[in-house]
Amino acid sequence: MPSRRTVLAATAGAVIATGAGAVGYRAWRDREPASPAAMDTDGRLLWRNWSGIQHAYPAARAAPESEDQLVDILKTGVTPIRPVGAGHSFTALAPTSGTLLTLDRMSGVVSHDAAKMQATVRAGTRLGDLGPALAAIGQEMANLPDINKQSLGGALGTGTHGTGRTLKAIHGDVVAFRLATPRGDILDCDRTKNADIFHAARVNLGAFGAVTQVTLQNSALKRVLKRTEARTIDDVMEEWPALQAAHRNVEFYAIPFTGLASLITVDETDRPVLPRGADADVDAVMALKKLRDVAGFLPSVRRDLAQAAFKDFPPEEAVDEGWKLLSNERPVRFNEMEYHLPLDAQMPALREVIAAIEKHRPDVFFPIEARVIDADDAWLSPFYERVSGSIAVHAYYKDDYQFLFELVEPILRHHGGRPHWGKLHSLGAADFAALYPRWADANEVRATLDPEGRMLNDHLRKVFAGG
Amino acid sequence: MARFAMIAGLLFLAACSAPTPAPTAQEIIARAATLAPSDARLADLYAQSCQACHAHAESGAPLTGDVAAWKPRLAKGKPTLLQNVVGGIGGMPAGGQCFACSAADHEALILFMSTGT
Repeated sequence: MPSRRTVLAATAGAVIATGAGAVGYRAWRDREPASPAAMDTDGRLLWRNWSGIQHAYPAARAAPESEDQLVDILKTGVTPIRPVGAGHSFTALAPTSGTLLTLDRMSGVVSHDAAKMQATVRAGTRLGDLGPALAAIGQEMANLPDINKQSLGGALGTGTHGTGRTLKAIHGDVVAFRLATPRGDILDCDRTKNADIFHAARVNLGAFGAVTQVTLQNSALKRVLKRTEARTIDDVMEEWPALQAAHRNVEFYAIPFTGLASLITVDETDRPVLPRGADADVDAVMALKKLRDVAGFLPSVRRDLAQAAFKDFPPEEAVDEGWKLLSNERPVRFNEMEYHLPLDAQMPALREVIAAIEKHRPDVFFPIEARVIDADDAWLSPFYERVSGSIAVHAYYKDDYQFLFELVEPILRHHGGRPHWGKLHSLGAADFAALYPRWADANEVRATLDPEGRMLNDHLRKVFAGG
Repeated sequence: MARFAMIAGLLFLAACSAPTPAPTAQEIIARAATLAPSDARLADLYAQSCQACHAHAESGAPLTGDVAAWKPRLAKGKPTLLQNVVGGIGGMPAGGQCFACSAADHEALILFMSTGT
């Protein structure tokens, strides 16, 4: 392996070789994407999603404090009525010219059952706030997503998940919920009461009404060890089945053009607290961007630089309560596509994705995330009756992301993947009917609860009606 | 995204951007964590949407009450600043993801964060 001095010298040479023209090109590529105007000609305030690729000028913004206020909005508000959580979905679930509905004022823990280890939580609660709130009553969610800015309602609505072979997505641990419908009903749903609605609307895309509160099956608060280490992609992929069996939570990030992966495992422990250090992910991602900028068209230099950097770096460990370690700050914005595949197809598909990106898209620098999720029985769950391996491909928010549709999605679809509801995909009703065994049943429940389609925007009409 | 500190730590290209807080910066950071608008409704909006970044130095956002950090932003003029806040810029997502906020709310929150009062 070359020394750091050697690879840095090679980088300097690359910079000189590429010259001023390349510097100008990088400056052009680094420009801030243009934003729509803050207000439209009617004085309506702009709404954009987190990454910036979806936008709308809602006629009304509603933030109810009570279920009564919420029902009134659902019955009489300007349509389409679109619930929004934290705006982290990349698909057009939230854009509306009608009513943008936030449940930010309906948050917090309602009650808990210490014996059953359950808690009832208002749907507007942000996951980042839920962790400490549950810890205060001795409970935790064993599985949390990579980002914890989402609202609980938004996370459930999109099938948001963490990782772990024996762990379900968040909706898999829901034992009951309350749904406010556009017809004006407030329905309590569980496996025995309104059971069809419970199965159909646990993952709901915000299209069945608005979930107001949820009862979660939690577990006892525990201390966990989070370990992060650099490995080669080949080694991690080879060991992936054994890693799943050995660790409570496990995931890895394959870094294209480097041959490297970052392996993250989380396991219960009795070790004393060792707090996580200052977040280094921003610097890491921007370093990968610099590497792309400098050596993007010199693959061997790019690979050597990354491998030299990796050479002497020790594994990183932290010990704390899980809610403090499972999720991360993500101040660097991006766009993302994620599909959930049959577990046996995950690694072959990932190899194809990496090969395609390394052959065709030297501009890509974000790591590719691989996770595993247990099966559940929610009718619109991407994990419906199927243990799944997920593959998530990211693009920096300033960069082109069409390659996700043109290069990545065909591979993931070929391997039988179901898309994450909140992440980029191009599928419509006919595709979902083929992918989801209970699709027609779920859609029938939705149409019964919202016969006038008050919750449907253009994106959801394509999803549910193909139009 | 990877927690790939080994690359961040060794690639000299990234090193120049690592913040090294001076004592005065530490005071600013400590103060930012304690500030909240006096108006109850505005305080709720701030807590739900702004505080997660503007009260934590690691986010890279200008901290609440850090007058010097806000000065060049305010110098761009209110229309430009409001456009950047509502439309998003850099690490700042559109509107700070405050979906209940009106334009007047955004202006009031900018004023609060830029002065700390």
